[in-house]
Amino acid sequence: MNIKITYKWILDFLNTDASPFELQKYLSLSGPSIEKVEKDKDDYVFDIEIISNRIDTASAFGVAQEAVAILPFFGKKAKLKFNPFEEYKFLKIIKEEREDNYKLNILIKEDNLCSRFSAIILDNVKIGPSPSFMQERLKAAGVKVINNVVDISNYLMLTLGQPTHIFDFDKISNSDGKSATMIMRQSKKGEKIITLDEKEVKLPGEDIVIEDGKGRLIDLCGIMGGLNSCVSNSTKKIILFVQTYNKQKIRKTVMTTGVRTLAATYFEKGLDEERVEATLVFGVYLLKQYASVKIASKLYDIYPRPYQKKKVATTFSFFEKIMGADIPKEIIIKILNSLGFETKVYGEKIEVFVPHFRKYDINIAEDLVEEVARVYGYNNLPNNFSPPAQVFQPEKFEKIFKVSSKIKYFLKHLGLNEVINYSMISKKIIEEWGLKEKNHLKIKNPISTEIEYLRISLLPSLYKNIKDNEGKREILKFFEIAKVYLPKDNDLPKEDYRLAIAVNTDFFDLKGILEALFLELNIESFTLPKIIKKNNVFLTEINLLSLIEKIKLLPKFNPINPYAVIKLDKTFKLGKNINFKKIKEKAFQSPYLDKIEILSLFKNKLTLRFYYSAKDRNLTEEEAKEELNKIQI
Amino acid sequence: MKDLKYKEEIEKAKSEVVLENLRIKYLGRKGLINKLFEEIKTLPKEKRREKGQKINEIKKEIASLIEHKKYELKKTQKEEFFDETLPGKPYKKGSLHPLTYIIEEIVNIFQKIGFIRVSYPEVEWEYFSFEALNMPKGHPARDDFETFFIEAKEHQKFGKMILSPHTSSGQNREMQRVKPPIRMINIAKTYRPNWDTTHTPMFHQFEGLCIDKNINITHLKGTIDYFVKEFFGKERTIRLRPAHFQFTEPSFEIDVSCGICLGKGKIDGKKCRVCKSGWLELAGAGMVHPNVLKMGGINPTVYTGWAFGFGPERCMMMREEMKIDDIRILYSGDIRFLEQF
Repeated sequence: MNIKITYKWILDFLNTDASPFELQKYLSLSGPSIEKVEKDKDDYVFDIEIISNRIDTASAFGVAQEAVAILPFFGKKAKLKFNPFEEYKFLKIIKEEREDNYKLNILIKEDNLCSRFSAIILDNVKIGPSPSFMQERLKAAGVKVINNVVDISNYLMLTLGQPTHIFDFDKISNSDGKSATMIMRQSKKGEKIITLDEKEVKLPGEDIVIEDGKGRLIDLCGIMGGLNSCVSNSTKKIILFVQTYNKQKIRKTVMTTGVRTLAATYFEKGLDEERVEATLVFGVYLLKQYASVKIASKLYDIYPRPYQKKKVATTFSFFEKIMGADIPKEIIIKILNSLGFETKVYGEKIEVFVPHFRKYDINIAEDLVEEVARVYGYNNLPNNFSPPAQVFQPEKFEKIFKVSSKIKYFLKHLGLNEVINYSMISKKIIEEWGLKEKNHLKIKNPISTEIEYLRISLLPSLYKNIKDNEGKREILKFFEIAKVYLPKDNDLPKEDYRLAIAVNTDFFDLKGILEALFLELNIESFTLPKIIKKNNVFLTEINLLSLIEKIKLLPKFNPINPYAVIKLDKTFKLGKNINFKKIKEKAFQSPYLDKIEILSLFKNKLTLRFYYSAKDRNLTEEEAKEELNKIQI
Repeated sequence: MKDLKYKEEIEKAKSEVVLENLRIKYLGRKGLINKLFEEIKTLPKEKRREKGQKINEIKKEIASLIEHKKYELKKTQKEEFFDETLPGKPYKKGSLHPLTYIIEEIVNIFQKIGFIRVSYPEVEWEYFSFEALNMPKGHPARDDFETFFIEAKEHQKFGKMILSPHTSSGQNREMQRVKPPIRMINIAKTYRPNWDTTHTPMFHQFEGLCIDKNINITHLKGTIDYFVKEFFGKERTIRLRPAHFQFTEPSFEIDVSCGICLGKGKIDGKKCRVCKSGWLELAGAGMVHPNVLKMGGINPTVYTGWAFGFGPERCMMMREEMKIDDIRILYSGDIRFLEQF
């Protein structure tokens, strides 16, 4: 989540000698990241990334609070001008002059919807433009300027970090015109509300909503108000409405309805109930000042479970243990205090009391270490190597990675191109290959039909690679090493490493590649994997694990034979009953045959060269010829 | 014998064909030398030996003169045609996917400091990708990891079958496999339902995990600093910024100084085009959350650890030579892309 606020806005709460750019630099290192600073007339606009568990920093005041703790560690002065949590108390408005002419009938149907409910009715509203400073700041924040009442509502959120809502009292009041009913409950599935943006939202059910007692929904709580109760130019009386909601429920509604607002982004993170008080009071002040309202009801505040101060106990040595540096006790205490934590020290032990605005993100001692370490400055900690330890790589991983690498480089040097394809393929391809859909794992939420099923073979992808590249190059030779996913009953699939090769040349090209590869890997005895032909493409696929077992680091050494080698050539006519395999088998029955070379193949005439030698003497030409003549098929 | 004019004849020869004819004339089976040998038979026995030796000497001389002349002929021929600026004989090059090189480089860098590479399921149970990482059911942090689900029966204990959206699912797997010390890197395919110029539904992640007694933040910093200097260059530095991840505490974002402006954010007074004020985001990291250790069966009061997660694709594209404006090309299988590496 990012918010935009301005430098001067922050300075409403903060006394500092840090420039906008210094604020950016130092806060980014130790607190919320200020991603951009842009000059805007006589102010600077900060684009701030709020750390996901630090919604308490998502406001001008929240940033000021962080700055107070962080800036002194960079040699900058920083003090709060005032703390709204202390200044803006309900007591202040309760004491003020008011007329309780109007009232609310509030019914909260379930206990887990709203942890604090506060509201007040304000009369004598003068709708008009908001003051220019507010307009400037809201524009800088990227918020649309509407009128003084709506603008104040938005301004409160970005100033104090608590969204508010404002209803037009007369639009929802009962027939007496003096009271309004607000029933907070869970929505029923299929209920509808037209929100402020004039869109109809069909509710999935169990969303927090407010009904006016006459069956009308007037608020999709925490997300957007109803069009039927919104402030307009003719509004006379308003309800200032400040709540904290069950964050899971808000989140669920956002996810299921797809209606997302900045307010919802705050609420779904879980807001601190204590913030409600300051926000409502500040809201009343602003509305008085800029919309000349008068308080016209009592103050409603339903807060069944006030915050009990949470305590986290730890030791000073724990900070050193995790930070790897010995930070003086005073510094640790100073940092914690400046962040709003109260501390009690008992020798080596320290008890830390968590302020209300950190109630959700501080739970364990490690959380406190983070606070101290970040403010102290991660960059002030040294860089150390992790201490060495003896760890052993499981043999199967070692072999897979080593052999994959060897194969990849070898095939590359033979002129093949490695490709990495998606692990998922389409139903169309499965059918094209005559494979069965049910033998594949299927993705429930694919974003495209192209990637709906997990591969059980690499061949379809490689075939597609060749087809996709036809016309781009004349000769195409691809390979891929990847896992396939073979479904198992009631278990995760078997993830099998495969090597697949595809060429658009000819059968013997692929066969030659395979033979060369096996030779390279020093695999002595093997049966070549099956080569299949699909249109003009020749393909093969090998289970890498089965290959690995046969691989040798070195081939078997044959002593160099010092005796004469006799080379003899012979031509065979290949036919139904005579093929190279048969000739070879027959020829190698001779104890003197070293190897056979193919000299030429013309039509079915195959000319071979035979190399004969003996291990212990010079073989005579006659002896060799005799051996050759035995090759009769 | 003296009337043999082989010296002059060989010297005059202007082509290899002439030389070959001379060779046949003198050294061939029916050549003059063999004729001389034949003649020896007519001589008295005591002279035969001496004569034989002489003929042999001449034979050798002729052979060597012919060889020499051949060499000279070739040389002059070559000198006439030799253009050394012509390209050499072409050899087939082939190519590996650029990520193969990147992953290899990463593995080598970590192997040198005693980290082992492992591999864990890509099709995983929810439990290992979420619960075991301190993200219980319904936790909003799960939203940060959009996930593909598989149509399969739920596991009673481990929940739904998914495509792991990160390699951190390997953390618990590794803790189950071995007890500390742990020094692991896990590079694997990971999956999230996004597909645009900066996202592909399948991508790679690279996880580091170190668990031992007395492991602290300085070790994480030192290790990542080492990696950055090895991978990007000695002049690069890192910085840590606060972040939040459920499975680490404290948590950091790791930035690496920009290689273009060297961390200054400006070149000749102008804003650097490449980075955000001098730094590029590289990775998320942190100290392993005690709940994650517990769920891996490791006592967090005895052991501590650090973990990080990088994107190899991002690491690759942060290198000078790899400016890619549409990441989908990596998995397009386009030969015009692949053959370049």
